[in-house]
Amino acid sequence: MSGDLTLYHWEPNANSGKPMLTLVEKGVAFNSHYIDLLAFDQHKPDYLAINPMGTIPAMVHGGRLMNESTAIMEYVEEAFPGPALMPTDARDRWRVRWWMKYFDQWLGPSLSMLGWNVGIGPKVRERDPEELKAAIDRIPLPERRVAWRKAIYGLFSQEELAESTRRILIGIDLVEKTLAQRPWLACDSYSLADINAFNSAYFLPISQGQHCNDEKTPHIMRWLRAIYARPAVKTTWAMGRTAMAERIKIFEGEEVKTW
Amino acid sequence: MVMTLYHGEPTGPSLTVLAALFESGLEADLRAIDLAMGERHAGVIPLNVETNYSVEGEGPVLVVDGEPLCDSVFIGCFFDDVAPGSGLRPADPYLRWEMMAWCRWVIERLAPGVAALANRAWTTPRLAALDDTAFAALTGRIVAQDLRARWQDTREGTLSDEHRAASEARVHEAAQKIEDRLAERDWIMGDFSLADLESYAWLAPMRELLPTAFEGKPRLAAWLKRVAARPSVRRALMQARTAHPVHGFAPGPEINRWG
Repeated sequence: MSGDLTLYHWEPNANSGKPMLTLVEKGVAFNSHYIDLLAFDQHKPDYLAINPMGTIPAMVHGGRLMNESTAIMEYVEEAFPGPALMPTDARDRWRVRWWMKYFDQWLGPSLSMLGWNVGIGPKVRERDPEELKAAIDRIPLPERRVAWRKAIYGLFSQEELAESTRRILIGIDLVEKTLAQRPWLACDSYSLADINAFNSAYFLPISQGQHCNDEKTPHIMRWLRAIYARPAVKTTWAMGRTAMAERIKIFEGEEVKTW
Repeated sequence: MVMTLYHGEPTGPSLTVLAALFESGLEADLRAIDLAMGERHAGVIPLNVETNYSVEGEGPVLVVDGEPLCDSVFIGCFFDDVAPGSGLRPADPYLRWEMMAWCRWVIERLAPGVAALANRAWTTPRLAALDDTAFAALTGRIVAQDLRARWQDTREGTLSDEHRAASEARVHEAAQKIEDRLAERDWIMGDFSLADLESYAWLAPMRELLPTAFEGKPRLAAWLKRVAARPSVRRALMQARTAHPVHGFAPGPEINRWG
């Protein structure tokens, strides 16, 4: 099985973590190929030969390339045996897809904008400026080049940052209200929606600790801890190589650094 | 299962959902509403978190046993889940991945560009004709602040040169992408699928506003005719209530905040 299945991924976080955790939950063996996002390995010729879009994650199964992390998750669910991560009811399935899109396209970009602004951007800027410029010039998709330039040099306007913060606070509120009604994000069983969301939401008690905590958002905290308790999460997070992956220890009551 | 579909004129997401319903053979009570006059928010349709914060914006709403569903591609998947074998999605997991990744591109890249151009051309004059009190009553019922802001921008006709150029580039890119894709195949996925409906529904209206994007693309031209000739699409177009149904847009998805 693992011979013909390779996942190219970065840290268990945001997009990379979605197919990682899905594969581990399904019990599917795969070759793990770590791509160092902060060294811009995803835009180097070796990787572009595999995924010409230069995005992470990417998966190759039976010689066929797949990108788009959420679409990969659905593929893994359908192509391999193992515990079901999609509910059987059609409306439940619709809700799984809706919540994944909400995280991918509405909430995720805001979380990532603040993450880059406060944490990853300053770290990347410690690198040689010429090296950074060359790295940006190598990015194949024009819209990604614009996005990376903003992220690397911290070019977000105050207005953009304020809008991201506004959305995150609304997101916290909507997720809290939703989890007050049902045990899991999309339906009564653990699903791809929880896997998708956890990869961004695990960081909320750290980055937005004054708004996301046991007192203000008990249902989110209960949900995050329930996901953290799953053995697949421990296995997946052990594949991280940077201090980012250590942040998950907040669910063991440890003090963790914001960045 | 009792289904009611509240749809706008057969263009954009309403066209996708109407045609997908007819492809599926499922029965739903059809209720035409004027999306550009804010009738989605007029109190008749039971809206919830998912419909209020839909990334798609002012699209159709399918109410299933009292629960409102939105986002045209996911409603299409819902029909296919309820009526397997509808042909809306391929059966093979890899082809399904490819279809979902294609639709994600349409949703995230093409649709915001088309929405910006179509609303500027066709919705702005209608909203500008409303007096301030009527417009305030319309937008006052909209829950999501960023959607409300897009209504305001549409009424004022705000569309920067940069935003217009980016939107037009998306239309050109989509037209070329489909032209290239149709080498040696009649439909985007080989067999007809939801990807044809979603792509057609967003791209076809641009023939009137951006004819240059369609020039010198014989395969695209043949495909546009092929989709329009499908009984499901013809039946969807028969639901029109205005002289120019293709103009029936309403504030839709925003352009990706990362560029």
